[in-house]
Amino acid sequence: MSIAVLATLAFASASSAQDFTVFNRPVQVHGFASQGFAYTNHNNFLTMNTTNGSPAFTDGVLNVSTSITDKFRLSAQGYTRKVGQLDDFRPELDFAFGDYRFTTWLGVRAGRVKTAIGLYNDTQDAEFLYTWALLPQGVYPLDLRNAMIAHDGVDVYGRISLRQIGKLNYTAYAGKRTFDDRGGYYTFASDLGMPITAESGRAVGWDLRWSTPLKGLTLGSSWTDLTQDRKGVFTAAGFVPGAPYTGLSSPQRTAVGYGDFQRGRWDFSGEYRASDYWLNILVDLPGVPPFPWNGSNECWFLASTYQASKRISVGIYHSNLHVDAPWNPADTASNHIYDEVGAFRYDINRFWTAKAEGHLMDGYGDIFSTQGFYQRSNPDGFKPKTNMLVLRTSVTF
Amino acid sequence: MKLTVQFVATAAVLVLASRGAHGADVKVIANPSVAMKAVSADDLKDIFLENKDLLGGAHVEPVLLKNGAAHEAFLSEYVGKSDAGLRAYYRSLIFTGKGAIPKDFGSDAEVVAYVAKTRGAIGYVRSTTDTAGVNVLAVK
Repeated sequence: MSIAVLATLAFASASSAQDFTVFNRPVQVHGFASQGFAYTNHNNFLTMNTTNGSPAFTDGVLNVSTSITDKFRLSAQGYTRKVGQLDDFRPELDFAFGDYRFTTWLGVRAGRVKTAIGLYNDTQDAEFLYTWALLPQGVYPLDLRNAMIAHDGVDVYGRISLRQIGKLNYTAYAGKRTFDDRGGYYTFASDLGMPITAESGRAVGWDLRWSTPLKGLTLGSSWTDLTQDRKGVFTAAGFVPGAPYTGLSSPQRTAVGYGDFQRGRWDFSGEYRASDYWLNILVDLPGVPPFPWNGSNECWFLASTYQASKRISVGIYHSNLHVDAPWNPADTASNHIYDEVGAFRYDINRFWTAKAEGHLMDGYGDIFSTQGFYQRSNPDGFKPKTNMLVLRTSVTF
Repeated sequence: MKLTVQFVATAAVLVLASRGAHGADVKVIANPSVAMKAVSADDLKDIFLENKDLLGGAHVEPVLLKNGAAHEAFLSEYVGKSDAGLRAYYRSLIFTGKGAIPKDFGSDAEVVAYVAKTRGAIGYVRSTTDTAGVNVLAVK
């Protein structure tokens, strides 16, 4: 895959994008590729073999878009990645939708659309947009990217002037969830002896983004209502070995509040999320009663970046994840993950960035909730603290 | 008293001159299909951030310079982003499917030529540029 990264680099250095015309309509082609390396002193992270240093941290995108009329656009994007044992470069459709903008305050998108939640959900893959090599994992877990990255449905969106009190961007959406059978959730469920063979669910929600009268300040709020019904067969490691199961989900709600303040060379941002989930497990075996799989957690981060020069930016953030009811309350490292991060970014040119980042992580989260630490990668158990170095480079065109 | 009045008047002239000089660094131009004589700074920002694509009922398309003093002055005064910041913003639109990267040109003459021939095009050039064939919009 590193060859693909180099090829993308060569292509990117030759042009900023590919613009051409089809049937007299402008078409743009863009893409990016990133390659990372992660090392941890304890605990393998994100299914990578990070205690030995792992380069299994690659992703890429190819994007095509065109304007059919002044009001109607078509866009599509393919995505591929390998993060440790996740996804293994299988290409997937990231999004593909038609966008009709009636007016500034009303537009409609239909198809597979990236989901607007919080500051960065829909842009989380484009790591060249940020100073960070990894976004705060408590809020934007890399391994669980597909849980809320996109939905197949309809968005209504627009921008409304509030006159003296600023402007409001809104998005409301409804549709079906998309799932990744090689992503974090499936991997984690398999490790618990409860592999998933079929899954479906809905996604409904909204996002409001207020550009306030204070120059540089944006405040926002999001809310999602997701369901996640699943089927599978318990393995030998599962609760009822060999028995089929059905998981019927009650709505999993996530409430989000966020803010971003940019002034001069500084940027300050923060986001808070509270989530709960409930899955009722029905075992297809006489005499086995249904049992719940439920929980809730809260996560937030505060971040600051400084553009030190045209090519250099630095930043720090604190990420905080708290699990409300861990499986083993006596294990104090299982009810949280705190992460203190320092990052350095260097822009080699307009298309190529390089980053170095250090993480001081405390805790590993609940054994029954995917939080980046997987049993399959840590068969001897988890240490309470993890220090991590992440290096990452990306090219974009 | 006379000295104070003279000082205040001189200071006022200098302030206004500097403001006028900054505002006169660039001028906003539009294709004749854009039947407006003026545009608000707010609308101009929204157009270049692709939050708005209508002006006076007509579809508009932003056009940029690739670099230079006029480019930097326009971004600083009307868009509120650096060149790198604006390009990152456009990329965030691209990779979510919510917009496109506008055309950009290496010279004022190229911008004028494109704006003159392209329905709805709106761009900016140095204030001394010959803008025959396009409308010049006042920014209010």
